[in-house]
Amino acid sequence: MTVQIIPVGSRDDVAPARAIPNQAGIGLRLPHHGFVRAERPDVAWLEAHPENYMTAGLADELAAFADRYPISLHAVGLSLGSACGLDPEHLLRLRELERRVRPGLMSDHLSWSLAATSAGPLALPDLLPLPYTEEALAVVVANVDRAQAVLNRPLLVENPSTYLQFAASTLSEAEFMGALVRATGCGVLLDVNNIHVSAMNQGADPRLALDGYLTAIPHAAIGEIHLAGHAVRSLPGGRLLRIDDHGSRVAPEVWALYEAAIAALGPRPTLIEWDTDIPAFAVLQGEAAIAQRLLDAALAPEPAHA
Amino acid sequence: MPDLAQLQTELVQSLLSGRFGALETDVLIGPITAAEAFSVHRNTALGGLVNALRLTCPTVHALVGAAFFDQAALAFIEDAPPASAWLTGYGAGFAGFLAAYAFAADLPYLADVARLDAAIEAAGCAAVGRDGLELDLGEALLTLDASLRVLSLRYPAAAIRDAIEAGDDAALAAIDLTPASHALALWRRPDGAATRPLGRLPAAFLAAIVDGCDIEAVLATAQPDDLAALQSDVFAAPFARIIAKPKENAP
Repeated sequence: MTVQIIPVGSRDDVAPARAIPNQAGIGLRLPHHGFVRAERPDVAWLEAHPENYMTAGLADELAAFADRYPISLHAVGLSLGSACGLDPEHLLRLRELERRVRPGLMSDHLSWSLAATSAGPLALPDLLPLPYTEEALAVVVANVDRAQAVLNRPLLVENPSTYLQFAASTLSEAEFMGALVRATGCGVLLDVNNIHVSAMNQGADPRLALDGYLTAIPHAAIGEIHLAGHAVRSLPGGRLLRIDDHGSRVAPEVWALYEAAIAALGPRPTLIEWDTDIPAFAVLQGEAAIAQRLLDAALAPEPAHA
Repeated sequence: MPDLAQLQTELVQSLLSGRFGALETDVLIGPITAAEAFSVHRNTALGGLVNALRLTCPTVHALVGAAFFDQAALAFIEDAPPASAWLTGYGAGFAGFLAAYAFAADLPYLADVARLDAAIEAAGCAAVGRDGLELDLGEALLTLDASLRVLSLRYPAAAIRDAIEAGDDAALAAIDLTPASHALALWRRPDGAATRPLGRLPAAFLAAIVDGCDIEAVLATAQPDDLAALQSDVFAAPFARIIAKPKENAP
């Protein structure tokens, strides 16, 4: 597959993007549209999955929300890790929505979901893992370059939740992302819950894993943080499997990891994600308020010492 | 390990089939086994697709129940996995699959119910209040809503959907399932998709406009009662506007 890059022309013909503030935002999901439209809740910014808004009617709805709130578009379908390249039609749909909504940030994941088969392209709705090799890095660099050229803006790339590691990997995930940033100029969306989930599933220390990211990735490149809940399942032998299901409140260990992240990075736009068993919007506002308190504390001056 | 392209091809096919074979040897041994990790991805991928079909076809799901629906959905996914990450419209092919699905042979109306569900979802995704096709009527201009679609079915899927939505088992049981012609107009209103039954001539008339067919030939088949139906079902319908054309001044 190849993408034909179509010049987007002057950016003066569309409204400027509204910047995403260094505050806590909330993931906008379809069940909350009516509430947000009617009540106009006090939220610093909203993030939406563009794949849910690639029809005329829903694009209109998201554009209306963008008139009231800064919007971030967080894609799940670019498949930046696909060796077969990006889906050109999907990329152009994303560009069309980007021009309509003028998001303050755009992001997708360090993962893949699209593969070439003898029967044609096959796409599965999941964030599938990559081996962290030089071959995979070249693929992701080419795809991020292409996406950024078509979208005419930098992307943030999110560290995924992982359940396995490929034996062929020669780089850590953090080293891979650092190299990606240097090669493409993209930013990083640091998902703190994913760091916790991946580290625990691999028998690693989440705090050391976070330190690995903070060492390998230039801090200025980290443009957003994600927080979410995860499920814990019991496996035979007393083992535990953590699944990134975005279906509960942020876990205490993840809040602690988040505090450590913003202590090192300073405040960053921080999103509360909740995608399964979606609760009332007020619950999400409560989680966002916790994040906001931690962001405010990170901004507060150190007390003077005697 | 195979190269990245081959690995990805093998993995998506394994996630669909549930047979991972040699791929398990490409994974480092850790607290979570390769089989357990692949199982998480298989559940996420297939669960996401089944859920997408369930959201597209809520009436089918309500009619047959979760177990039957999931079985049919998984068979459809194996038969026609998506080629794009954009799943809107993926369920449109489910109706055709159900029409030939052996386990649904005793439910011949099920495919039409799926067609209606998918068409309602599509109409609900359309923009509100946009002008679409126009027809010059001589002294006036007929403008149809851009979201308007005409659906022709053999079974009373709209009555089935209405009864399911109302939770009215008695109404559902009373529906005459004898094959006949059931035509519907579907379009987008501000509060969501709307449907309206169409008589024979209005359905043929609108379908001719939408499909770019010979409207004169359709009108030539009209009976006296049909013309009244054309007035009520088309010209006075909420998806249509008639605007008189300004008269030109005589020289």
